[in-house]
Amino acid sequence: MLSGFAAVLAFGAAATLALAPSVAAAHGATPQKVVETIEIGAPPEKVWAVVGDFADVSWRPEIEGVEAQGGNVPETAIRRLYYKRGGSLDERLVQYDGAAMSLRYIIERADINVLPVGNLSATLTVRPLADGASRVEWKSRFYRAFPGGNPPEQFTDEVAVDAVTRIFKAGLASLKAKLERP
Amino acid sequence: MTSSRARAQLTFGARAPWTAFGVGLCLLFSSARADEAFIPNQGGGDLAIVDLAAMTTAARLPLGGKPAGVAVAPDGARVYVTSPEGGFISVIDAKARRLEKRIEMPGLPFGVAVSPDGRKIYVADMNGRDLTEIDPQSGARRKAEVGAVPSGVAVTPDGAWILVSARDDDALVLLDAAGLTKRATIAVGRHPFGLAIDAAGQRAYCANVESDDLSVVDLKAQKLVANVKVGKRPYGVALASGRVFVANQYDETVSVFEASSLTPLAVIKVGEYPESVAASRDGTRIYVTNWFSNELWAIDAKSLEILGKTETGEGPRAFGAFVRATD
Repeated sequence: MLSGFAAVLAFGAAATLALAPSVAAAHGATPQKVVETIEIGAPPEKVWAVVGDFADVSWRPEIEGVEAQGGNVPETAIRRLYYKRGGSLDERLVQYDGAAMSLRYIIERADINVLPVGNLSATLTVRPLADGASRVEWKSRFYRAFPGGNPPEQFTDEVAVDAVTRIFKAGLASLKAKLERP
Repeated sequence: MTSSRARAQLTFGARAPWTAFGVGLCLLFSSARADEAFIPNQGGGDLAIVDLAAMTTAARLPLGGKPAGVAVAPDGARVYVTSPEGGFISVIDAKARRLEKRIEMPGLPFGVAVSPDGRKIYVADMNGRDLTEIDPQSGARRKAEVGAVPSGVAVTPDGAWILVSARDDDALVLLDAAGLTKRATIAVGRHPFGLAIDAAGQRAYCANVESDDLSVVDLKAQKLVANVKVGKRPYGVALASGRVFVANQYDETVSVFEASSLTPLAVIKVGEYPESVAASRDGTRIYVTNWFSNELWAIDAKSLEILGKTETGEGPRAFGAFVRATD
């Protein structure tokens, strides 16, 4: 924990984040899909107040710390996520529609030891349900970490799908718990 | 393209004294009935053959190997589908709707195009740096070094030139088909992917995935003419009715331009994660595969209205010229 927070503090300078290189793995492999949804007993506006704040990842249990800048402005907003298990990723907001309660982000600086994927984009959308509750959908397109054919066993399609699925499921469950807390 | 339309007009004109409205309606259906789409579903591992008049799946062939790229031979007899993860190309008898044979090709075969005489196919290996020419009858092959991550392939209508997008070189590479020799490397936007060449063989268009623009290249001068801004994450490009259509994956739109002036005409909202675009053989319609929502959409190339949608199967890629005329 201590070393993780030290990393957050050391990160500091905004310029470092802005200079983070754009990484796109060479790939001819098969893009993968993950879609997870959850119903939350809270009004959509209240859910979107959390989900729609790109800097707020307090509901994601795998994240220990975050350094964010650029608010909710597409292309400008960027965040560095520090994982509890170690390592970090940079994500950039690429689309934001407050009226539709939907945003899309990409992993701009990947680390396959943190998350074994390449070229990930993901969308979070909050939709109203008839009874005043909400449904949150989190969906993503990505590739396995190994771009070529016959990937090593730690970088297969299945490993990538499993890793993203676990993060989405845990995140949505935690979001629900946070918002339904009296 | 124009000839099939003229033929349809003659047929209907000779049969009965249709009202102007009736003729128009029949033309619409007759031209559409003549087309089928061959859609590789990469996640599902199969090929959907879609009747484009009815907008329904007429057949589905299991191919395996995560099929992605497709090219219909100019005479419509055969369709070639690449399976990058299987390392093979499936040769489809289009009329019989059956798998004729597999051609092995090591690496990650992705983009594919057919020579106008149907005797050669050209396949990009995304795992390497080469373009492979294959005679699908004899299996004879030649290879040419292209550049980093060869992706899209297109052939000029006279068959003399092959154009390949070397994605990670940010360039289009022009090869002469006779010698399979690299003749020019043309710098375009960042990460060119989908390609289209106009009917006159004068201009080529490529969608640049990372710079969110469309590059226009003069093939005779072998020079970049323009970079035009499109939506986010453009993938596929097609030409129809004097217009350019580009599918923007993140924006979930199709950008429409006038081909001659490159004037933006419209942005059409489509399904989720659109990837490939192809024109009907008569140029009146545009078809878009939507990878995330597993759909094929039909759009009127003139009015830009959505004409229909159909489910394709899991993860339609259809990277290439996927429309076949059946007449």
